[in-house]
Amino acid sequence: MIATMAGSHSARRRRLTWLWRAVALVLVAIMLFPVYWMVNSSFEPQGQILSLTPSFFPVHFTFHNFVDATERPYFLTDLRNSLIVVVSTVCLVLVVAFMAATAVTRFRLRGAKLFLVLVLVVQMVPTTALVIPLFLILDKARLLNSFQGLILTYVTLTLPFTIWALRGFVRAVPMELEEAALVDGCSRLGAFRRILLPLVLPGLITTGVFSFITAWNDFLYANVIMQQQDRWTLSVWMFGFQTNTGTDYGGLMAASTIFALPVVIFFLLVQRRIVSGLTAGAVKG
Amino acid sequence: MPVMANGRAEQEISPAPSYQRRSHRARRALRRQLLPFLLLLPALVLVGGVLGYPIGQLVATSFQQLGLFELIGHHVVWNGLANYRTVFASSQFLDSLEQTALFVLATVGLTMLLGTGVALLMARLGKILRTVVSVALLLAWAMPSSAASIVWSWMFETEYGVVNYAAVSLGLHGFSNHDWFATALSAYTVVTAMIVWQAVPFVALSLYAALTLVPQDLFEAAAIDGAGPATIFRLVTFPLVRPIFVLLTVLSVIWDGNVFNQVWYLTAGRAQVINVVPLGVWQYIEAFSSQQYGLGAAVAVVTVALLLVVTGYYIRIMVRTGEARA
Repeated sequence: MIATMAGSHSARRRRLTWLWRAVALVLVAIMLFPVYWMVNSSFEPQGQILSLTPSFFPVHFTFHNFVDATERPYFLTDLRNSLIVVVSTVCLVLVVAFMAATAVTRFRLRGAKLFLVLVLVVQMVPTTALVIPLFLILDKARLLNSFQGLILTYVTLTLPFTIWALRGFVRAVPMELEEAALVDGCSRLGAFRRILLPLVLPGLITTGVFSFITAWNDFLYANVIMQQQDRWTLSVWMFGFQTNTGTDYGGLMAASTIFALPVVIFFLLVQRRIVSGLTAGAVKG
Repeated sequence: MPVMANGRAEQEISPAPSYQRRSHRARRALRRQLLPFLLLLPALVLVGGVLGYPIGQLVATSFQQLGLFELIGHHVVWNGLANYRTVFASSQFLDSLEQTALFVLATVGLTMLLGTGVALLMARLGKILRTVVSVALLLAWAMPSSAASIVWSWMFETEYGVVNYAAVSLGLHGFSNHDWFATALSAYTVVTAMIVWQAVPFVALSLYAALTLVPQDLFEAAAIDGAGPATIFRLVTFPLVRPIFVLLTVLSVIWDGNVFNQVWYLTAGRAQVINVVPLGVWQYIEAFSSQQYGLGAAVAVVTVALLLVVTGYYIRIMVRTGEARA
């Protein structure tokens, strides 16, 4: 995109394009190696993993680790629990954060600055220090072992970042577009929903991925709030794997692979929406 | 005054319509005032309701003597500033502070530098390669931090580790059975590399999303005016993505300043070598391993205060740049 305007020296530009492609491939290799190593070892039998010359391909290919992992009790229940909690969290946090971001960017609101600062201060408190007091308040509200309790926790924990990030995206959209809609007889709320919302879609997707990954990966809160095994999330299931089988690298890597899969699927699903929602051309400065 | 005269004249001629108009306007003004408040309300209720009490509780705990005995017996023993005095008098504190500062400087500096580079690179790639890069970034980001820590510590393992194997294969025989976790510096280098590896995807994808919102004709205009890529970046691209850049930097400082998971997993069982830990880990050790919750809470409060001091200037800038234009 930017490269096309770099200059008129086409030979130099073509060389640069190849340089960027080479850099991109090196980057992909570095980013993927640990992931590849995880998947690679998940397909290897235990004896093969601990060998002095590591094999870069699963020579003794086996599904054993995956079968073992998925046959563990409560796997499907925990997977379902995780999906319920995380999908609800992402939907809720995006709605609440979009409303808040609009409120602080599109209006002169007394106390808005204070709100933004406070929300960021909340983010500075170490999460390990909040576990016990949060447990106590959820206990009082009878929300322990409930999806609502965990969803509320995740929504609140990812809200500060989401509000701040969306605020940046909302601000990048010129107000003139909404004003034009207001002139055309649209209500203020209608303008936010019909004009602003589609334009900040890339921002919503990025922040959505963020809250998805944060909620999906969390172990600390899920472990404390969900005490009954049929309410566990997949991250708790994975840790159970670690403690029960000791240093079973193959099994742990298989579990990690299964665990990471939904996040990848989620991204591949929204990836297309990023492209279709890309309105860079529609926003003139 | 002309305005007053005008208003009085209008009132004298037809008081009723003017009154009606004013009340209509007042109602509209009220609704305009109410709308932003209603939009903000759910966020306020959630943050205040779910986190307000626990944070208040944490601050209160930092002024109490709260061990396992007091916790079980539900005793509340206030001890004033004793916890804070212990924290500041501890030899651990200054070491831990210095260590955290260096650690944050290294991780945040590298993360932002590499993240910006990757975002700019993505803007320069074709559609296919860009998708490949973003999927690779996401895969690294999606990896659970616990699993990532296990894979990394294993990649750097002394005997079977693939890193030592690769180094020896490349002729660096000194790396045969090299123990990466033998010294604190070496161990934290591995931890830093892993955190940067995990943090770059998020920064790169966010900055790239912000780049796509920058109007393309700005680049075209700058290029027509004869600006080189470096000038375009400095004068056009960077100022436009600065708000999200500053936000990502501040958030990275907050997250890395509170680092716990990665250090905890990677350096597990190495307490003799790595006796100086970041504040986030120290807080956890005081609270959970030593079961001095009051002391742990005090460390947490001090950490928040320090983070506020470090990021305060930038938070002020961030809040100011976002003033509503309405």
